[in-house]
Amino acid sequence: MKFSRAEILLVEDSQEDLDLTLHSLGHERVATDIIVARDGEEALDLLFCRGAGSGRSFENPPRLVLLDLKLPKVDGLEVLRQIKSDPRTRTIPVVILTSSKEERDLIRGYELGVNSYIQKPVDFEQFRKTIKQLGLYWLITNQAPVAGRTARAAGQSS
Amino acid sequence: MIAGELIVEAEAQKLHAKGEKLSVLMVEDSVADTELIRRELEHGGFDLSSEVVQTAEEFARQVHSNSFHVVLADFNLPQWNGMEALELLRREGLDIPLILVSGALPDITAVDCIKQGAADYVLKDRLARLPSAIRSALQEKQLREERKRAEHELAQKVEELARSNRELEHFAYVASHDLQEPLRMVATYTQLLAERYRGKLDAQAEKYIHYAVDGAKRMQTLIQDLLAFSRVGRQDTTFAPVDCNLILHQALESLQLAIRESGAVLTYARLPEVMANSSQLLQVFSNLLANAIKFRGSDKPNIHISAERQAGEFAFSVRDNGIGIASENAQDVFVIFRRLHTRTEYPGNGIGLAICRKIVEQHGGKIWVTSREGRGSTFTFTLPVTEPVPAAQEKFKQEYVQA
Amino acid sequence: MFKPEILLVDDNPADLDLTSEVLARNERPKRVSSVMNGVEALGFLRHEGKYADTPDPDLILLDLNLPRKDGRAVLAEVKADPLLRRTPIVVFSTSQAEFDIMQSYNLGANSYVTKPGDLPEFVQAVESIENFWFGCARLPRKEEQ
Repeated sequence: MKFSRAEILLVEDSQEDLDLTLHSLGHERVATDIIVARDGEEALDLLFCRGAGSGRSFENPPRLVLLDLKLPKVDGLEVLRQIKSDPRTRTIPVVILTSSKEERDLIRGYELGVNSYIQKPVDFEQFRKTIKQLGLYWLITNQAPVAGRTARAAGQSS
Repeated sequence: MIAGELIVEAEAQKLHAKGEKLSVLMVEDSVADTELIRRELEHGGFDLSSEVVQTAEEFARQVHSNSFHVVLADFNLPQWNGMEALELLRREGLDIPLILVSGALPDITAVDCIKQGAADYVLKDRLARLPSAIRSALQEKQLREERKRAEHELAQKVEELARSNRELEHFAYVASHDLQEPLRMVATYTQLLAERYRGKLDAQAEKYIHYAVDGAKRMQTLIQDLLAFSRVGRQDTTFAPVDCNLILHQALESLQLAIRESGAVLTYARLPEVMANSSQLLQVFSNLLANAIKFRGSDKPNIHISAERQAGEFAFSVRDNGIGIASENAQDVFVIFRRLHTRTEYPGNGIGLAICRKIVEQHGGKIWVTSREGRGSTFTFTLPVTEPVPAAQEKFKQEYVQA
Repeated sequence: MFKPEILLVDDNPADLDLTSEVLARNERPKRVSSVMNGVEALGFLRHEGKYADTPDPDLILLDLNLPRKDGRAVLAEVKADPLLRRTPIVVFSTSQAEFDIMQSYNLGANSYVTKPGDLPEFVQAVESIENFWFGCARLPRKEEQ
């Protein structure tokens, strides 16, 4: 039996997109806990358990990070790079959720080890459907890394 | 003192019983002293064989080519001294007791010698003490060897344990993968057959397929349960202060659906804080509550959770008004895979309470059930009290009632 | 219309059949290839020998316990290869061992899906993989590089 609550870290600076995503996630009831970071720095603090995230622990990482690219303070790709280059956080699934149509961002994201990349659909219904699929896949179909085992397993695999 | 002397005597006799001579290496430049020492030892009851050396080179050669029971070394020799002999023994890893036999030795030096590892020191004008000093030294050496042997055995046991743990981990892996895979083939392909030939098979064939799929699925769950059971104890269990009220809330949350469907009424008293592994404790609460809901009678489940401090422990109780357990079965329910009902009456594999017991015992507590058939059950488990206990948690009063 | 290429890497023919069958059930056009060991998988991805004309897959479903070259080794090699590493890899294995899950993510797996032991759930898992990766995610396709 799994007791850890499914937790999503949503990194999004646009209020409209935030509302829309929260609404879609809540509407489809795929997640119980959603934490929101409004810029890249806050996201990194939460993930690296410092500053605003100092009450958190690496033992309980979010099941999924939904990451916008154009973010204040620290850019989304830099947030991604830091997550994926630190052994304490690299196993956390990160999905880029962006309105950017840039091929460069797409390629760079996958190069940096993003788990998946989603371009936000413009159409509201389409957007909701996409978020629903995303939630189903990452919270139900996909096996998240086991909370609390990150450090140990990372050590074992070396 | 007398008992000690007796043991020492017994040691000397053991040497004699083996028909073994006391083999002594003397580091001594005075022939007269050598003779005095020999005589004193023979007088002390030792059958003696001895070598005498004067230089460091000779000493090194002798300790390597012969096995001596003891070294008797003068402190002051022309080219070197007894301390250097000690140093050499240590360097070579030879455990031969060395007793300094010397003329006037300043106290500070004698203490130094003992600190450096000399077994004893005996003044030349007190040679009568030498035999008992040797016996003590031999006995100490024997104790040292026994301790070393015990330590070695312990290290071996630890290694064996680690190996069997690794084997268990490996077994768990094999169970989770290699056993599951063929089972998955049986289940999915039988289901695929049923799907493909739906309507083309008679009722009996459909039933047989159902039996096959059901069997394979049960086996899958059994393997999962066995793994869950073996994981308790293998997982690193860090204990931290845990607020049981929060744990209870989480347990209730995970059982929301069952509570709603059964119309269960839950009441609970304020619970204390304990030292525990929170996810394991959550599992105990969840399993007990799930059982209280599952094994309900014709009435709606009425469940009460409480805690009470008794001496050095907290006793947590989950009381229900369910079907109860006949007293002769009260212990059986905690045994793995033991079930008191058929699967059609109450589904399950008989693992939940076995896991509860394993977890509670791992926390240093006990779990038991008091029940009357048809009159409900009370499952109680104890956990040691966290020290120091915050005063606020001393009194538990009924604060919440949840319908 | 975009016609995704899927590569299945699995040594169990029963699983290859089942996965292919489920993928074929819906109407989304796609091409499914399969190889049965790790060496073949790398040969396929690098267009070696008989694989000279094979397409670049848009998604790889990779089993972990494979003969000749283990799935973990394939994962590590693909993710270390600048020409291949962008291709999303979904580890698709029977194993639910936390060690396998963590190791896969550490080696750069994009996702980890346990093969369910029940047909309806298996169908659902494969459909969910297909719906997400081809109906929802944006993939780093060849023409976009």
